[in-house]
Amino acid sequence: MEKLKKIKIGGDKLTMIAAIIVVFIIFSSLNHNFFTGTNIVNILVAGSLVGLVAIGHTYLIIAAQNDLSPGAVVAFSGVLAALLSAAGVPFGFVVLITVVSGAIIGVFNSFMVNKIKLDPFIATLVTQSVIRGFAYIICDGKPVSITDPTYLLIGKLRIFGIPLSVWIMIILIAVFGIILARTKFGRQIYAIGGNKDAARLAGLNPQRTILICFILMGILCAIGGIIFSSRMNSGQPAANVNLEFDAITAVILGGVSFMGGVGGMGGTILGIILIQSFNTGLTMVNVPSFWQYVARGALLLFALTTDYIRKQKREKELLEASMKNA
Amino acid sequence: MNGVLEFKGISKYFPGVKALDDVSFKAYGGEVLAFLGENGAGKSTLLKILNGDYQPTSGEYIINGVQKHFNSPHEAIEDGISVIYQERQILLELSVAENIYLGRMPSKKLGFIDTKKANRDAKKIIDDFGLPIDPSTKVKDMSIAYQQMVEIMKAYSRDNLQVICFDEPTASLSDAEIEALFTVIRKLRDEGKIIIYVSHRMNEIQQIADKVAIFKDGRYVDTIDPKVVPESEMIKMMVGRDLGDIYKELDRNTNIGDVLLEVKNVSSDYVKENSFVLHKGEVLGFSGLVGAGRTELMRAIIGADKMKTGEVYLEGKKITNRSPHEAQENGIVLVPEDRKLQGILANLSVADNINISMLDANSNQFGFMDSKKEKEVANKGIRDFNIKTPSPSKKIVELSGGNQQKCIVARWLSTNPKVLIMDEPTKGIDVGAKAEFYQMICDFAKQGMGVILISSEMPEVIGLSDRIIVMRGLKIVGETGREEVTEDQLLTMGMLGEV
Ligand SMILES: Nc1ncnc2c1ncn2[C@@H]1O[C@H](COP(=O)(O)OP(=O)(O)OP(=O)(O)O)[C@@H](O)[C@H]1O
Ligand SMILES: [Mg+2]
Repeated sequence: MEKLKKIKIGGDKLTMIAAIIVVFIIFSSLNHNFFTGTNIVNILVAGSLVGLVAIGHTYLIIAAQNDLSPGAVVAFSGVLAALLSAAGVPFGFVVLITVVSGAIIGVFNSFMVNKIKLDPFIATLVTQSVIRGFAYIICDGKPVSITDPTYLLIGKLRIFGIPLSVWIMIILIAVFGIILARTKFGRQIYAIGGNKDAARLAGLNPQRTILICFILMGILCAIGGIIFSSRMNSGQPAANVNLEFDAITAVILGGVSFMGGVGGMGGTILGIILIQSFNTGLTMVNVPSFWQYVARGALLLFALTTDYIRKQKREKELLEASMKNA
Repeated sequence: MNGVLEFKGISKYFPGVKALDDVSFKAYGGEVLAFLGENGAGKSTLLKILNGDYQPTSGEYIINGVQKHFNSPHEAIEDGISVIYQERQILLELSVAENIYLGRMPSKKLGFIDTKKANRDAKKIIDDFGLPIDPSTKVKDMSIAYQQMVEIMKAYSRDNLQVICFDEPTASLSDAEIEALFTVIRKLRDEGKIIIYVSHRMNEIQQIADKVAIFKDGRYVDTIDPKVVPESEMIKMMVGRDLGDIYKELDRNTNIGDVLLEVKNVSSDYVKENSFVLHKGEVLGFSGLVGAGRTELMRAIIGADKMKTGEVYLEGKKITNRSPHEAQENGIVLVPEDRKLQGILANLSVADNINISMLDANSNQFGFMDSKKEKEVANKGIRDFNIKTPSPSKKIVELSGGNQQKCIVARWLSTNPKVLIMDEPTKGIDVGAKAEFYQMICDFAKQGMGVILISSEMPEVIGLSDRIIVMRGLKIVGETGREEVTEDQLLTMGMLGEV
């Protein structure tokens, strides 16, 4: 794992950095407000939500899993937190209950994957629909306003001029990144993504690792839901559709492979920056929102193609070597 | 007229490795040429160059007077050059005929596929091979040996087949299946094809090879006639020293202790109820045909499969292994038989592959890895097993097959188990390394470890075990000591369940 320890600025990462620079050059030449301090902070704020989810996806996809439910879980968590707060629950408990509910959703996801042996895509598609439904059901389809000043502060507070939500993302990325690169748990994630059966025989517990990854994703979504609702001053059941789409794009752009077993948090950071500056840029140069969907699709296609090319290269190097070195 | 394949000055460099160094020799049609060489000697690499999987750094090869160059295995196959590997390369969901004619199925007028004709043509080939196979059977429903036959028939079905190579094809075949494979190889030989056969099993080489090409450290040494040059001499040429009688020279453990492991009526969905004991310092061999249930019994013991009935006692204490993890904590480990599917983590380095069972020991109480410890464990494994790798951080799949196997064995040994179960551990390991490995097993026994050895290689079981248990039809059918038994007797027991 020596290679993973140092954040290696290899070929892939250089390409990413170049892509980010290109995006910045294009958008700032089209709109002079793009490359300003305020706007960069805006990008970071908007990116912080994608970022939280992308952290969870980094773990899951390296472990050869996936999750399509985060958008729904974030919306549900926002509504739940807003409702609890409206019912007079102190903010500390609001956070606790919301985080626990996020964790439970993670348990449910991993139950379907581990025990019912569903494909993670299908399993979490189920969750996406069910949880989105509950987001509407618990608030009767109407946004829930937030009045608790402590709750509202979360979305407004700035430390050294940088919003709290951005700090939270940075800290979580650092913590999760270190765990992934330096700890036993990180090693387990890579091993399971490489070969689940072999990992189990080697004395690892793949089901438990997958369970924890899904729980962490649920918790990250809950935190995201609280922050987002605070910024909006309300819990919105219809919000955050396609959030997982951006997060997965960021993670794949950052060099994590759909095959599992490779990549790291360093790449994800670049992926988040790239996708969020792209999205914000599109809005700022007034690309109609319908076309934005198309553009994002194109970006994901680009990410998948790079992943495919990398995979081909790797497969040629690794898989064939392993098959035939007998 | 029989063909000639000539290699001329072939070299192949990988980063940090000279896999082949100026290799020149000829292979002739109508005879089976075996490749013999230590792990990492470059045998597989040469075949991969021949079939366009790798490009040589320099040099060329000439088939029947024509210089060839292939950009991919596909091109090579089109040109009548096939390599058959241990791992199947066919599509499991398709039928036998569909696999044989993959990409060139006969079609009817409107472009519809003519399945009938394909089946008819396939049947002809199957009959040529004298096998009881129905061409419309799905390949996934057939035994591994027959799947391999399908691969060979696929190569054979091309009218222009010139060269067919086998890279350690027998690892997962039973004796009867190996015999069937040899019959097919002899048939191909008699038709004048150029045949290359790579194996570490000397007895197979004696049986099938007309000539033996010997490789050492990426260089071609010589081609000899195995009927003239004695085996010990061949081994000396490939290893560079005299091995003597491997088994006679072992320094064995003579002090077998109390009962270490007691297995009582253990069964699972895959194996019937079985009981046996293993003593401290004992090497216990398990013999039997492929499919006799040896692997399945061991998997039940370590909790890889759910134990349905029975109890396991270690040092007199009852233990339960609900997972391989628990078994490992109790001190029982299993080195699995299928390296690719159950052993290696293809995405990780040599060091990580050795270390993966040591996560607890290599980390502090907060779960952080201690990179110094990781390095020590990896280096010890590489040293003890003499693993040929340019560095511990090399991806494991870049090692030769035998060296990958050594990494896997090193992984489980570093956990310092009380009971070490090994399922076909010497698969793909060269004779020199085997001799060292056997001595290591004896040394483990001396330290009081109990060793269970499953192996299809009779001489290995007989030569190494203090006691031998024979399984047949998912049940233990007999037991014998090393001194008392011959290969034939073991075989009879394995087949008939009696001596
Ligand atoms: N794709 C690769 N990348 C880097 N090195 C490689 C690659 N493939 C093979 N090598 C190296 O080339 C050398 C020869 O390997 P090769 O697989 O040809 O050995 P072999 O004779 O088939 O050994 P074995 O008996 O263990 O199968 C080894 O040192 C191996 O590590
Ligand atoms: Mg080889």
